[in-house]
Amino acid sequence: MAKFTALITLQPGADRDAFARNIGDATLAQPTLPGVFDGGDLILHRQVANEAVPSDAAIAHIDSAVYEPIGGGAHEPGLRNGVYRCLLLAVKPGTPEATVRQFESETLAMPHYIGTIRNWRLSRVTKASGARVWTHVWEQEYADIGGLLGPYMTNPYHWARVDRWFDPECPEWIVDTRLCHSFCAFERSVLNP
Amino acid sequence: MTAVQIIDDLVARPGEGKALLDAYMADYAPGARARGMVLDRVLVSPPLWMDDQPNTLTIVWNVEGAAGWWGMRLAAGADPSATAFWETAGARLVSRARRFAAAPEDVETLCNG
Repeated sequence: MAKFTALITLQPGADRDAFARNIGDATLAQPTLPGVFDGGDLILHRQVANEAVPSDAAIAHIDSAVYEPIGGGAHEPGLRNGVYRCLLLAVKPGTPEATVRQFESETLAMPHYIGTIRNWRLSRVTKASGARVWTHVWEQEYADIGGLLGPYMTNPYHWARVDRWFDPECPEWIVDTRLCHSFCAFERSVLNP
Repeated sequence: MTAVQIIDDLVARPGEGKALLDAYMADYAPGARARGMVLDRVLVSPPLWMDDQPNTLTIVWNVEGAAGWWGMRLAAGADPSATAFWETAGARLVSRARRFAAAPEDVETLCNG
């Protein structure tokens, strides 16, 4: 079933918490945590392809995607009070399908090597808007922010293996350098409630 | 701290090995040093400059652990000259690879942060 995520950037001074409270029908509507990179001020996620975002003068920019999962898993279904992370990325047009599949396969193997990823899902985008024509959404859940900022970043499988798809210095580079790296706290698991 | 190696394997077009290495040292290495990379060694294989067959250049840099690696990576992302070099060097290359490695005794430390 299709999913929808929007990373919403608000005008300076706008009340993020109030905006999130007023979104209403959503699986997740939470202000982002410090450290996001082009990740917006809040994350709106729905487990259905409902793209509706309230029209509001406080909105400055939206990066969003409707997407179909191609893989995922759960080490901790029902995780509570954790951190949800979402990466919107755009594979360069013309990348051979076999290469894209290898990239997807290696990305989906990250939880095998990085134990702090408790639940995860990789999806192909069917409808994108924002700074790029996003092609993939890579979502993970962590028990706490340390799992994302610590082992996820420091494990060699990330930087010495998967990152070459993202690195313009590597010949395998296929992912546009403009990414949306966003994360927020959640009470109930988004990926595996 | 744990040393991480950044290894460039460059296969030069026949007759271009020496010019490729000279360009690498003149146009790439200074920026790499500024991004925290420390040159460990340069190897030429086979050890003669050939004009009708490819030479392979292996250039090994060191950085300090994952933090040093990310420091290099993020600095390169903000430095257009890094990717510009590779675009220019393409004319002298048959192929290239960039690999990241460490000593076996450091693997567990790197994996466990």
